[in-house]
Amino acid sequence: MSAVAVRRSIDESRVRDGLLAWLATTDHKRIGILYFAATFAYFLVAGALALAIRAQLAIANNHLIAAHAYNEIFTLHGTAMIFLFVAPFALGLGNYLVPLQIGAPDMAFPRLNAFSFWLFLFGGLTVFAGSLTVTGAAATGWTAYAPLSSLKVGFGAGQDLWIVGVMLVSTSSILTACNFITTVFIYRTPGMTMWRIPIFTWEIVATSLLILMAFPMLTAVLIMLLVDRHLGGHFFDPSLGGSAILYQHLFWFFGHPEVYVLILPYFGVVTEVIAVFSRKPVFGYTGLVLATFAIAGLSMGVWAHHMFTTGAAVDPFFSAVSFLIAVPTGVKFFNWIGTMWGGQLTFPPPMLFAIGFLLNFLIGGITGVMVASPPIDFHARDSYFLVAHFHYTIGGGSMFAIFAAIFFWFPKVFGYKLDDRLGTWTFWLVFLGFNMTFFPMHFLGVMGMVRRVYTYPDLPGWAALNGVASVGAAIQAAGVLLFLANLVVSTWRRVPAGDNPWDGNSLEWATSSPPPQLNFHRIPPVRSERPTFDFHHPEIAKKTAR
Amino acid sequence: MRDREPSRMMPLPSGATAQAVALHQMWAVFFWSGIGVAAVVYGLIAWCLIRYRKRTTDRELPVQFRRNDRMELVYTGVPILMVVALFFISDAAERHVETIAAHEDVVVDVTGFRWSWRFEYPKLGVSVAGERGRPPEFVLPIDETTRLNVTSVDVDHSFWVPDFLFKRDAIPGLRNVFDWTPKKLGTYRGECGEFCGLDHATMSFAVRVVSHDAFVRWAAAHRRVAFVSHEAAR
Repeated sequence: MSAVAVRRSIDESRVRDGLLAWLATTDHKRIGILYFAATFAYFLVAGALALAIRAQLAIANNHLIAAHAYNEIFTLHGTAMIFLFVAPFALGLGNYLVPLQIGAPDMAFPRLNAFSFWLFLFGGLTVFAGSLTVTGAAATGWTAYAPLSSLKVGFGAGQDLWIVGVMLVSTSSILTACNFITTVFIYRTPGMTMWRIPIFTWEIVATSLLILMAFPMLTAVLIMLLVDRHLGGHFFDPSLGGSAILYQHLFWFFGHPEVYVLILPYFGVVTEVIAVFSRKPVFGYTGLVLATFAIAGLSMGVWAHHMFTTGAAVDPFFSAVSFLIAVPTGVKFFNWIGTMWGGQLTFPPPMLFAIGFLLNFLIGGITGVMVASPPIDFHARDSYFLVAHFHYTIGGGSMFAIFAAIFFWFPKVFGYKLDDRLGTWTFWLVFLGFNMTFFPMHFLGVMGMVRRVYTYPDLPGWAALNGVASVGAAIQAAGVLLFLANLVVSTWRRVPAGDNPWDGNSLEWATSSPPPQLNFHRIPPVRSERPTFDFHHPEIAKKTAR
Repeated sequence: MRDREPSRMMPLPSGATAQAVALHQMWAVFFWSGIGVAAVVYGLIAWCLIRYRKRTTDRELPVQFRRNDRMELVYTGVPILMVVALFFISDAAERHVETIAAHEDVVVDVTGFRWSWRFEYPKLGVSVAGERGRPPEFVLPIDETTRLNVTSVDVDHSFWVPDFLFKRDAIPGLRNVFDWTPKKLGTYRGECGEFCGLDHATMSFAVRVVSHDAFVRWAAAHRRVAFVSHEAAR
């Protein structure tokens, strides 16, 4: 009896249900499900905060929400969407999928993995706990620029809870990144060479490397901020020899790699989904992987493009590298188009959301190249043009990929499919609503509307464009509600999905739905980057083996 | 309130300073290149979605091709050439905009504070400051080069005049220097670009571009008479 088999027989005797089993679990699949539940709950809260923002901005000179409350709302909205939804959802998805995709029984360090999840969950709750304090939650934006955030007047315990909470989440991400890298490098099943691991797993590897390089800087800068706030430090106080600009350098040294942490895993999702629903292998696999690492590498050298207007980052290096990063991103677009080219496309909800991703993300990419140019950034920076830009990447990109991922892998995780018809309606509502909300913001930005304002004057066109944006937000909310209804209806019906409902490529489709305790009873031979497809289509596998 | 020529790109202001001409050109270059790229990529995606739909007549799997080295070289190389060209165009414009003139006509020290702005004309002995809820007016002569020194006394702010297509951050401990040469008479709206707390949203100011004679008269009338005194502003 092999070691794995012994472990399997021991562990299967211990499969339990009930609350304690979930609290104490070290199974990567259960931890993945915990991540899905927690991140989605944070998403719903952050979405509700976004609706409050759009309600306040629906008309000019509105005074529905007071200034300080509004500042808390956009701070929590950004913090929750970035640190508690988009990034950790990807880590949760990686948790569930990476061991399955490489044919491993679990993550390399299961207990560390559980620890990461609970750090993340309580980090998020710590941030929100600020709302319960007398002075309210943090109100300095998700970037918490010092010296504003080092002020104690106006920014009390809520700001400290924000700092500590984000530090916990950051630490959690670092531990998870170590876990992913070890798992992928050490735990691959025989035959699963690095050049055969699925693109999603590659993207998780690149993301983990970025986390390891960037997140320690976030933790460090937050500690410096705490020292400034409570221990008499003055890292960021120029009147005592500190430097205000230092905070921006340190924060964006983390912050720019972070935006790729928010998107790389979702490039992976979209790649998998498009390949499956085009009935073709990924086009340009090697180039796609190299492009991923080019993006990861370049992203470490572009932080000061967030600081063009500070006058303290005039070196053209940052602009040049920011332009250059568009190239590997463009390569990926052509990989996706090449994957669809000559295929047999079908359009169930995962594919619809993946195409929505392509259409939206392209706009975010183009405006990204625009703001890589300092002369354009001088006008666009901190305007609604920038708000539109990053929502097209993180919202129109990552969020659409998240929905694609949910519709795609739901049958694997729970054993039954989500309803396709409701899913299609969800897509059209969210797609229409999203573009109505964020496209007009490009215009508002160039017209001069500044971001992070709780009110704006009644200048020509401003109220109309903001009104459209607010109606769009309501339509998106309707789409999300429909998605929740879909969850309820599909769970009620529980139509079994089978092990491989989409004729998938990678190993997770070769095991049962949901997979057994240690993932596989039998792993098909791995002779390409899509072993499950090869197994079901031996006549093609023979021709295309690599 | 503003004197704006219609722009063909979005509702972008046409730029009311000499420096803004280059900035406006940059927007044009990037806007139309962006439209071009979007047209090509959307065209290819649309083609795939229409042409390669699964048809009821499809019995076998499509051809399972994985790569096309020549194509990959093209779609990597062409974008590199494009961004290199865009970078050099953009860099030249930036150098032009950031050029400090050898001789300036007016010097203004701009100071951001929570939550308004102070404009001091040291050579003229004029100081104008707003206060919370009472935006100050910043007066500039047309066709003359004004040197601006921007800083802050508390937290980060950003000094933005959308009609000039330009902002520069006001950061405590740093002094940012740039020139503006207004080319159109009129009154423009200015705002704080960087989030600075409670009243960030209303930390605006008015920019009034006047003729040389009007500027001289205005300066004489305001000499040593501040709208609000320094101390009160702090």
